Amino acid sequence: METPSQDPSLKLPLPADEPQLDLYTIPRHSSWFSWDDIHDTEKSHLREFFDGSSFTRSPKIYRDYRDFIISKFREDPSRRLTFTEVRKSLVGDISVLHKVFAFLERWGLINFGAPAGEGLGKEGNWRVRVEDGAPNGVRVVAAPNSLKPVTVPPSGSDSGRAMEGNGFDLPPLASYRDVYTERKGTICGNCKQRCESGHYECTKEGSFIICVKCFKNGNYGENKSVDDFKFIDCIPNSGNHEAVWTEAETLLLLESVLKHGDNWDLVAENVKTKTKADCISKLIQLPFGDLMLGSTHRRGKLWDNDGNTSIVQQGQLPSSEAHPQENIKTEDQCHDVENERNQNGDAETQVPSLKRKRTISPSDTGNALMKQVALISSMVDPHVAASAAEAAVTALCDECQCPREIFDGDANEGEELGSSPQHNKKERSLQVDGSEVEERPTKLESQGTSSEKNAIPLTFRMRAATATALGAAAARAKLLADQEDREIECLAATIIETQLKKLQCKIKHIDDLELIMEKEYTQLEELKESIVAEQMHVLQRVFSTGISRWRDHTSVKPQVDSVL
Amino acid sequence: MKPHAAASTSSNRNTTVKFRIPTSDNLVPIRLDIEIDGQRFRDAFTWNPSDPDSEVVIFAKRTVKDLKLPPAFITQIAQSIQSQLTEFRSLEGQDMYTGEKIVPIKLDLRVNHTLIKDQFLWDLNNFESSPEVFARTFCTDLGVEDPEVGPAIAFAIREQLYEIAIQSVASARETRINKKGRRGAAEQFPARKRREWDVYEPIVDLLSSEEVDALEAREERNART
Repeated sequence: METPSQDPSLKLPLPADEPQLDLYTIPRHSSWFSWDDIHDTEKSHLREFFDGSSFTRSPKIYRDYRDFIISKFREDPSRRLTFTEVRKSLVGDISVLHKVFAFLERWGLINFGAPAGEGLGKEGNWRVRVEDGAPNGVRVVAAPNSLKPVTVPPSGSDSGRAMEGNGFDLPPLASYRDVYTERKGTICGNCKQRCESGHYECTKEGSFIICVKCFKNGNYGENKSVDDFKFIDCIPNSGNHEAVWTEAETLLLLESVLKHGDNWDLVAENVKTKTKADCISKLIQLPFGDLMLGSTHRRGKLWDNDGNTSIVQQGQLPSSEAHPQENIKTEDQCHDVENERNQNGDAETQVPSLKRKRTISPSDTGNALMKQVALISSMVDPHVAASAAEAAVTALCDECQCPREIFDGDANEGEELGSSPQHNKKERSLQVDGSEVEERPTKLESQGTSSEKNAIPLTFRMRAATATALGAAAARAKLLADQEDREIECLAATIIETQLKKLQCKIKHIDDLELIMEKEYTQLEELKESIVAEQMHVLQRVFSTGISRWRDHTSVKPQVDSVL
Repeated sequence: MKPHAAASTSSNRNTTVKFRIPTSDNLVPIRLDIEIDGQRFRDAFTWNPSDPDSEVVIFAKRTVKDLKLPPAFITQIAQSIQSQLTEFRSLEGQDMYTGEKIVPIKLDLRVNHTLIKDQFLWDLNNFESSPEVFARTFCTDLGVEDPEVGPAIAFAIREQLYEIAIQSVASARETRINKKGRRGAAEQFPARKRREWDVYEPIVDLLSSEEVDALEAREERNART
């Protein structure tokens, strides 16, 4: 064991004639430590050694453990001593040993100031690393000089290899994939730019490629002439799978997610042209994607905020439904169910009479709904579909005067004229939501009388219906968008407010701290002054008694004598 | 503070407690090895015996779903877990002898690409010990990167402790062990002789894929025979 170490935090001066001591740093709060004794701190933290509960643990044994561990650490205080290194040399219950080790480490008696290296390659003998196969970043191919990527980068020629060198022109944030995917020939060997539209491949040396520009300019590279190059058109989408999601694919994706939920293998099978990962990433990108992912278990509670695609599809469907030739037979059913539907606050182009047959809950809007509409309308018989279409048209008429005029004017009825002022009046006096309920029944009745006289050409009505549907949907979308904007503004304001409050709190806190500091400063000043005053006082007394330390001793001595 | 911190040492030798795993958490090591139609499922984990039994079936279902195993596995897994738990519970009511017992624990396991060999002493009387803490220190100190190694080490320790605990139950029923047997470790405290350091030093090896395959094939052969 080495000679006792000095704790530098103790302010005892080192006498010059003591033997060479090694200096070890331990924190101030561990200054109770001494080699010769066991302190109460140790006794209280490691009671199992001192209560006689086992013959394997005794104060002496504790001291041996402790001394061994500390000495082991001090053999090389710059490295971090690990528990595993010491436990092989000590006999005893490993948990107890660990406890001692942890105690010493916590109190800074070992590993104080040692680097917190997390075991990365500390000692060679701890780790045997066998690399099988080629190391990372190296790809092995079947034959040399093949066009498949041999090593990274793929181009095997000299100029191509210049890419790896220091001066290649990739943008600073180029990812691994950008640099190293199989880009057969898309980097020009000459100017190192990407070859956009096509490239010329050198026939002599298969992997040397120049872009169209260079070819035109005559920069063929060393030792090559015009004849050596043949033109190869670029392969579109050569490495990029995630390019385009068409509408059809997105539709397929949504359907299959609804059907299969979490099971991405099946979803990917359904959307045949896209891989599993693509499906998932596309779904997340869609504005409602997260909700779908979360709610695939709760089938049918789907909130589609993507108004645009739904509008497009909505526009197509009413036209297919509008083949009004029959009378309204299911009036009552219509208006009952419509009441319910309005209470849910949906868009007005719903198919109310078929609500009971829907498999998705009534809170759906948008895409899925319209698909359902199409499905159901094809399932039921034409009477019902017709009446449903009538109801839909009626609903459209609520919002806009124009189609009503078309429908009503074309009908050319006296009763129509009588009832249309009625419609108009009612329309103007009532609100959009809520009160349509009362409006509907009256409308339907009057509509019922007028529908018999429908001599309007079919296509015209269809067109009108489509236009109205689009208009209605667009208007609603705008309202929703406005609402969203307002919400966003509101939230942003809240955020800003919160931030300001935070800043204010911080400023206040800092002010408080400043205040405290000033007080402390004044206190220190006072202390300083008092010390100075004391010093002066002492000096005065010294002077008054006649002993001077700064004068020449010879001159002072007679004075001293005289005083004594 | 330990419950049996009595003044005299002799009374400790006679204390018995109700059976439990002698670690700070009373967790049961569960090992599964099920083969159905040529598909083999092996797993090892710790289970808290105070969890309700309904959790067993839920766990089995979740495992089968996550690993896409055929559903026949659900019942098998649940049954296996249940039987091991029942075995544990049947011992629970009995007394366990907790005399001086410092036992050597050996580790000799392969987890994916990492091979671990180690030996150390463990005090069965120390009810505050934790294999998980040990495993964590082990992995941190030796820089083991594979996150599956830690739990495997903790599990191996628990299994051995479990077996020893079972033996001590049996021994409590029989006559008391003689004094010699109690002094489990024949070594002198506290410092170990230097030549023995190698034995108690942990060895961690990283294997290549071919070696892993070779070892697995050998293990299968041994298991079959």
